[in-house]
Amino acid sequence: MTTATAATTLDYIKTIGITNNGDNGRGFANPYSIAVSADGRIYVLSRCDPVRARAIRVGVQDLDENFLFEFSEGYGSGPGQFVLPVAIAFDSQERLYITDEYNHRVVIYSSEGKFLDQWGEHGSDPGKLNGPAGIAIDSNDNVYIADQHSHSISKFTAAGQFINRFGREEDVTPRHSLYQPWGLCIDADDNVLVADWRHNAVKRFSPDGRHLQTLGGLQNTPGGLENELFNRPSGVAVDSEGYIYVTDWGNERLQVLTPNGALYATERGRATLSLWAKDFFASNPDEVEVRKVANLMPELPPHLADDPYQVSSQTEPYFWGPVAVTVDAEDRVYVVESNRHRFQIFKRA
Amino acid sequence: MTTTAKQDIALMAHLMRRAAFGAPLVELKERTAKGYEETVEELLSPDDPSDLPQDVIRRYHVDQSELRQPYSAAGNWLYRMVTTKNPLEERVALFFHSLFATGYTKLNQARSLLNQIDMFRQHGLGRFDIMLIELSKDPAMLLWLDNNENHNGHINENYGRELLELFSMGIGNYTEDDIKEASRAFTGWTLGNVEYMAMRAMKDSIWPYSRIAWHFQFREDDHDQGEKTFLGESGNFNGEDIVEIICRQRATAEFICTRLFQFFAADKVDEDGQACIEDMIASYFASDYEIKSVLRTLFNSDYFKSDAARYARVKGPVEYIVGAIKTAGSYRQPTLGIDQVAEQAFFMGQGLLNPPTVEGWHEAEEWIDSGALVERVNFVANELSDTSKPGIRAIIGQLGEANGGTLTPDEVVDNCLGLMGAIDVADDTRTALIDHVSGQGDVCLEDTTSDDRVGELLGLIAATREYQMA
Repeated sequence: MTTATAATTLDYIKTIGITNNGDNGRGFANPYSIAVSADGRIYVLSRCDPVRARAIRVGVQDLDENFLFEFSEGYGSGPGQFVLPVAIAFDSQERLYITDEYNHRVVIYSSEGKFLDQWGEHGSDPGKLNGPAGIAIDSNDNVYIADQHSHSISKFTAAGQFINRFGREEDVTPRHSLYQPWGLCIDADDNVLVADWRHNAVKRFSPDGRHLQTLGGLQNTPGGLENELFNRPSGVAVDSEGYIYVTDWGNERLQVLTPNGALYATERGRATLSLWAKDFFASNPDEVEVRKVANLMPELPPHLADDPYQVSSQTEPYFWGPVAVTVDAEDRVYVVESNRHRFQIFKRA
Repeated sequence: MTTTAKQDIALMAHLMRRAAFGAPLVELKERTAKGYEETVEELLSPDDPSDLPQDVIRRYHVDQSELRQPYSAAGNWLYRMVTTKNPLEERVALFFHSLFATGYTKLNQARSLLNQIDMFRQHGLGRFDIMLIELSKDPAMLLWLDNNENHNGHINENYGRELLELFSMGIGNYTEDDIKEASRAFTGWTLGNVEYMAMRAMKDSIWPYSRIAWHFQFREDDHDQGEKTFLGESGNFNGEDIVEIICRQRATAEFICTRLFQFFAADKVDEDGQACIEDMIASYFASDYEIKSVLRTLFNSDYFKSDAARYARVKGPVEYIVGAIKTAGSYRQPTLGIDQVAEQAFFMGQGLLNPPTVEGWHEAEEWIDSGALVERVNFVANELSDTSKPGIRAIIGQLGEANGGTLTPDEVVDNCLGLMGAIDVADDTRTALIDHVSGQGDVCLEDTTSDDRVGELLGLIAATREYQMA
């Protein structure tokens, strides 16, 4: 049972990030995914676009906003390089796996930024990849990849050996199938949760691909079939108590669900100035004065106010382009915003 | 095919080159069967565009989600032009983008520029007075022409001047005092958080968290509430009143109808063309200034259908590029390189969302100089000679269906001209194309070289004078 609205029951912790100034160093260039290492270092994938390709990389920082280091082999299709990277995840050995939807492969780096390996072959047959997007790794180091253009999840060993594939219409019933899936996560039982992007749903599958649960999607309402939970969900994560966090990309918000799927909280975003942002204003005092009198939560004309994307484009504290979410060992929730070059951190109250 | 049928298809091809971005032969036949006036009505009644969905684009092109740079916004608009089922809606938006030219270079705000294009789509076929009011509230236009500096007691005349000179009546139909009074009426018309947004625009600031898009705001405390005298009328006018008075003027009707004529019918206005414009003016007033009615009159006029109007316009770079891409069948799905297509249009002289000045682009014959011509021919020849592209494969397939396995040089030239959209070329052009194909004899579609020969011919057709014209 879900409801359309929910009281905010998340504590806001902080915002980290700033629009990249140049091609490297602190700041992000369209961050697209985030992973937290066992020692709490925060790895952020900057996807960029081809024109800003020199900034494509993984940047590493800590919760105190100290920039630590960054790495990549650059833009392209050579060893360890990226063209359109989508998602990152650690395995049990703290190796970082990175999907690339253009190169149709997975690239693996050490947590210190050394290129280790890559695997994946373009195609739609079992074992091949066709637009790999989200990635998640279970407790046995099995690698799950949301293969967006095959509308399925492919499961591999850590070395890239194909195990199985599920989520297509022919694998499950059409009602339980996937349509351009994006983000993934693993729950405490090693089940797989999938942000079923174009079905506006989140679906849970067993490790062998049996459909277990659907959240969102079209629901029967007095007014007919409606979807109140999600519009193009991009990412999904679970905390230690089984609460589910979904970046509801099309609605520019975070949806939090209880372990049994009830809506627990809706969060639009509450960004404040990061330390890096404060440094920027310290050296640009002219902007500080006019910013002080600006209303960064403006009331918009009706033709803009009805569109969450337009609202977010004009409301700096709100999420804009929430593409991924992850939860760390302390149950802190990190929401990545590709269009604002930052992430916001929350924790369930 | 009978001569009459050929003439009907040629007329439909003419309409689709002007009111759309061209159409392949199969679509021309379908539309001809439906009827000319029915097609005009369909084009004038945009429905669901069924274009490439924005969510699919934004997921793939993260830059088109953020819209920080003009090439991203231009690429986004190109997708719409290439895939829309409402091509006239896009042509009209392109027309108003040329007429109310607003540019990125001063604004550094691509999202708000695309919002302006959306406004052109929404109101472009509607009433001209409503369009001008929406234009006067458009935040990109307000900052572009400094209306954020137009204050009660300290007017800035820039917007008031261009509203009269470039956007509605044309020079010589008003006085300097009218400009001042119009400017007074638009005091207080500004954008939200204007001080901060103007500074960010001036500094091209993307910090701390990227661009912040704009919205209109009316500041009543900065609005001149006093009486004004404008075009001989006096009253406590605001901006809406000024627009209402403007749209009643014969000069405004002449201005907008002539510009529409030149964009959709012919670069030059001859005596018959002037008569057509008079009919358009009559429609303007009879319909309460509705652009749709004016265009209906134009497209159904004898002048528009006449030989004098055929190939009487130089294709602008954007319509030229979009037409070729549609023929080639590329960019139907998100594809790396769409930003470079937008850049190509810039090299040809028409940077979308980036006109050189408020006067827009110098059009007609000025689209083509030696540099631009090379850019045009190279780009389109590359698109159309690439036999891996789905549209080109379809043309090769239809050649086989129409003529079996082997075609003479005459047949392959005539069929390719037809399949590309019933292109009518001069005799010497046709002869030159046939001579080129004849160098290697008949085209046997089962030969391994036939695809390349057809692709080469399509590229050559794109280089003809006739293909540069609409």
